[in-house]
Amino acid sequence: MFGFSARSISNVLFWVTRKKWLILSFLLSISFFYIPSPDGLSPEGHRTLIIVGVTLILIISESIPLPAVAILILIMEVILGVDTADGVASSFMSDAVFFIMGSLMLAVSLVNQGLDKRLALSVINVTGNKTWRIVLGFVTISALLSSFIGEHTVGAMMLPVALALIRNAGLDTDKATNLSTVLLFSIAYGCAIGSIGTPSGGGRNVIMIGYLSEFGMGTVSYLDWMKFTYPMLLIEIPIVAAIVWYTFTPSQKIMDSSVRKLKVKVAKTGEMNANQYMAIAIFLVVFFGWIFLSPFIGLGIVALSGVFLYISFGLVDWQDINKNTNWGVILLFGAAISLGIQMRETGAALWVAEQTLQYLEHVFQDIAIVRWFVAVVVTGILTNLLSNAATVAVLGPIILDMGGNAILMGIMTSVASAFAYLTVVASPTCMIIHSTGLISSSDYFKAGWKLFVISVLLLLMISTFYWPMLL
Amino acid sequence: MKILIAISSKEYSGPTLDVGMNIARILKASTTIVDVGQKISEFSMKDVSLANELMESWDIDRPGVDVLEWAYKYLEKNQFIDSQDMCDGFPKHSLVDSGAGRAEMLLQGSTIEDLSLILRNGEIIDELRDEVQTHEYDLTIIGGSGKRSMAHDLVQYIDSSIFVVNNFDLDQDYKILLAVDDSPGTSKAVKYGVRVAQAFNNKVDLLTISNDEHFGDEYRHASARAVKMMRRSGVEAEAHFKVGDPVDSIVETAGQDHIIIMGASTQSPIAKFFLGSKPLNVMRNCDCPVLIVK
Repeated sequence: MFGFSARSISNVLFWVTRKKWLILSFLLSISFFYIPSPDGLSPEGHRTLIIVGVTLILIISESIPLPAVAILILIMEVILGVDTADGVASSFMSDAVFFIMGSLMLAVSLVNQGLDKRLALSVINVTGNKTWRIVLGFVTISALLSSFIGEHTVGAMMLPVALALIRNAGLDTDKATNLSTVLLFSIAYGCAIGSIGTPSGGGRNVIMIGYLSEFGMGTVSYLDWMKFTYPMLLIEIPIVAAIVWYTFTPSQKIMDSSVRKLKVKVAKTGEMNANQYMAIAIFLVVFFGWIFLSPFIGLGIVALSGVFLYISFGLVDWQDINKNTNWGVILLFGAAISLGIQMRETGAALWVAEQTLQYLEHVFQDIAIVRWFVAVVVTGILTNLLSNAATVAVLGPIILDMGGNAILMGIMTSVASAFAYLTVVASPTCMIIHSTGLISSSDYFKAGWKLFVISVLLLLMISTFYWPMLL
Repeated sequence: MKILIAISSKEYSGPTLDVGMNIARILKASTTIVDVGQKISEFSMKDVSLANELMESWDIDRPGVDVLEWAYKYLEKNQFIDSQDMCDGFPKHSLVDSGAGRAEMLLQGSTIEDLSLILRNGEIIDELRDEVQTHEYDLTIIGGSGKRSMAHDLVQYIDSSIFVVNNFDLDQDYKILLAVDDSPGTSKAVKYGVRVAQAFNNKVDLLTISNDEHFGDEYRHASARAVKMMRRSGVEAEAHFKVGDPVDSIVETAGQDHIIIMGASTQSPIAKFFLGSKPLNVMRNCDCPVLIVK
């Protein structure tokens, strides 16, 4: 046909079917570009919203690689005249992006130290060999650790521990037995609830803190944040353990031989060495830096200082960091935060906020409920479709523009973005446990919806009764 | 001749591997067995690979290696691999990354010279298509699970011939149903039919279908040529002529005890995309293995 071979036509068709969302977003952005701006929305704001739409479609459909989405955001911001090239460039890098970069690099540095075996031993020593105690132990340790060092690090370190226990239980590992499901979910959900605990628990907390100070709405220190969120984390630990246990009750109530084999395995690796002590010491330095220095130099710079120490003390090779750091994600969050700032500056965020309030007020009658609904329920749903940090980057400016106490709204949104229980793509830990092939996608919903509902209600109670006491 | 066998798990891929290796043995084809694992979201790719690296220090295999090990044991048991390799068991450490999420293990075959195992991660159609395009396979053999949703993409986008091992029972005696008409695809399909019939020692039913009572000379000649070719190769064949809708007749005649073999459609890809094609519709509707020859 027209001189093209059947094969090349078939190649084009394949491309079109794989890239249909890219094509759709392109067509939509052109048609929205020619629609006149609605009342109350500036032309720049109108165009910013087009970029937001394109970004959401491309991230959810994964039809082009994430770094390409990031680059597209920057290009569109300049070409659509939202900001100048220099303006876009300066909003692209911020302390929040430094923090995300530093936190991903710290993860590589920590994971490389072989501390996972120590961690396994200390958990097992406390829990003993009863399965329910191990589940509770996994949830607790995952939640507590991930609140400080980030869920992706803890997820990667805990996975082999769980798999070693599962494999030594003498089961066929390719069958998705309840034992593997319950252990893996106790890690994933433990990490998820843990990530709300401190700003360093997840990049999205830092993005929110960055927005609050960038928009002049207030500052939240490391310890302040913990006062708001840590009680919720602690309450959720037994809840998560109970939910995963009763949803996937395993038939093996005691894991005697697994625990014994795991202890033998760890004993073979010998005592802790000097490097491991040093690695922990550096992390403590970073932790105290976050608490005491971050108000002056920023959370991101503290994280990068830790990375500097790890590299210059020879505890991690740059090659390892280079290979295992997700540069694409760093680019994407840089671009997404830049987009968030543009949403605020062009008035797009305010316009969306006002429209939402106006429409939803008819439904709920009370503006406080509308705010709560968007900050918690909409964030919670979007976080399961998008990644949790991208959700905060995009929704953050809108929610902060809806009025109410900005700090409370901001923290509430960040906490709700941790309710990433329902899908595989929701968070890195959900993906890590899914990658083992031991868990089917439908399992996420089985336990996840219960946890989602309980978390939403718990956040409602804590934010109504406890948070106002802190102000 | 190069064959690609796609497997997914021990539970479901037994028949696929068995059929595939038997065909490979007869054709003396260089053969690759591929397992396509879970697609990893880009947000978490590095976190997952970090976890996989840690798993190595615990002597836990990364996901998918157990499927390859199972395939290896099958090859070992059925003597597809040289005995000197066998004493060491599954050579886990010879699984080498060959870039872009693809890991490869080359084996020394006995009956088949080039034998390799491959692990990939991602969307199955994307991965198979990329594998077939880069390494130019002639035949892709795949299990029947998810056949209906994947049928279109398989037929439309994978460049090699495709054998969907659907509802295959190892203990059952299958006949071959070869769809014959005057299209250029038929003669290639007949050649494959001979090979497969030899591999499994099947009888062949040659089926020619016309929409009306009148069978043109081309149809009759095509059928006669096919019968002659089968006889010459020592395959027992019988020619049938039926009137009706080609797709319905093929599906109905095949039932569950035939392996359907037919040539790929020669329509333009755009027509196929919007209107579908006979092989595609047969693949969607039948309850037995189907081989579509390109």
